[in-house]
Amino acid sequence: MSIPPEGGGAPRIRPFLSGAPARPPAPSQHVEPVPQAGQAALRPFILTGGRVNADSADIKLETQVTARPGAPPHLVAAMAPESQHILHLCQSPLSVAEISARLHLHLGVIKILVADLHHAGYLDLHAFETDPVFDPDTILRVINGLRAIH
Amino acid sequence: MDSARSTEPVRRPPVPVKIVIAGGFGVGKTTTVGAISDIPPLTTEAEMTAESVGIDNPGQRTEKRTTTVAMDFGSVSIDHSLKLYLFGTPGQERFGYMWDDLSRGALGAMVVVDASRLDDCYPAVDYFEQVGLPFIVAVNAFDGRLGADLDTVRWALAIQDHTPVVAFDARNRTSVRDALLVVLDLALHRAVSHRSPLRA
Ligand SMILES: Nc1nc2c(ncn2[C@@H]2O[C@H](COP(=O)(O)OP(=O)(O)OP(=O)(O)O)[C@@H](O)[C@H]2O)c(=O)[nH]1
Ligand SMILES: [Mg+2]
Repeated sequence: MSIPPEGGGAPRIRPFLSGAPARPPAPSQHVEPVPQAGQAALRPFILTGGRVNADSADIKLETQVTARPGAPPHLVAAMAPESQHILHLCQSPLSVAEISARLHLHLGVIKILVADLHHAGYLDLHAFETDPVFDPDTILRVINGLRAIH
Repeated sequence: MDSARSTEPVRRPPVPVKIVIAGGFGVGKTTTVGAISDIPPLTTEAEMTAESVGIDNPGQRTEKRTTTVAMDFGSVSIDHSLKLYLFGTPGQERFGYMWDDLSRGALGAMVVVDASRLDDCYPAVDYFEQVGLPFIVAVNAFDGRLGADLDTVRWALAIQDHTPVVAFDARNRTSVRDALLVVLDLALHRAVSHRSPLRA
């Protein structure tokens, strides 16, 4: 097989692109699709009372969640087991992805449950003032932390 | 430093940062995550709309369907207030919304490649280029062999000059660490150049 030298000639197009015009992905206005009643996948979405909370689109995989202290036990006991489970897990900070993995429930379902529990005052969702993506100091801390791994 | 009373549970969560580990089927994504994660990789599933364009039929045929995709992830606690998450995601198709979700707020990405099956990673490479997420191509040296030299991989994937192509061993902790450091170097450059125009 003869390979042309690197960097020469016109930019090439990956096969997968050749028919499809390159377009940037749409911004995430999206909420996970909700199955229609009667479909086999319905069960997880029943937990959310059939509602799709728009705020759940703002929750990221790595969003940190903690239970707000002092929830009245009789109110917690009346919740769906999944919600109780989330409150229990979030006694210490936990990411949305970890909640999904520990409960074996789809991410979309967890996001909705977490958003609902947040709106009802049971969960805190933590946001941070500086966006780490554009914060050199935070990135340097990650670099130094990884360098210490052997 | 805040001196929390020892009787109280740790309530202040760490700042989460994330790096995406993308790549085709069976290229070593989960192995990569597991090699460096503090915890054994966990799995989460998400419903998403997949958009695929047939490689055999590169004309207009675009298929959309909803599918469930499993994502593996792990984490590395940098210190008590900073935690790095690594999300491994299948990359052989365009999973529109999930990839938006993944790359939003990510420091960068690593596209894991098996040099003998390069076409698996086109969608990931293309996606990260389009959204402008800093990424590297990391060729997993299965059994210590690369399968193709790095220049060949760069050429075959049409990787731009400013995108690093590195070799690594997905099973080796320090090798994964070094590959992640290359991603973080790009992330640092992005952060610094984003900041400097404001100061000029
Ligand atoms: N010999 C060898 N085997 C490897 C290496 N990396 C991964 N494997 C093996 O290859 C197989 C696939 O690796 P995974 O880490 O599960 O790959 P993946 O990309 O997560 O796969 P999917 O999630 O199924 O797409 C596993 O059996 C690994 O043990 C390597 O560097 N050398
Ligand atoms: Mg895997």
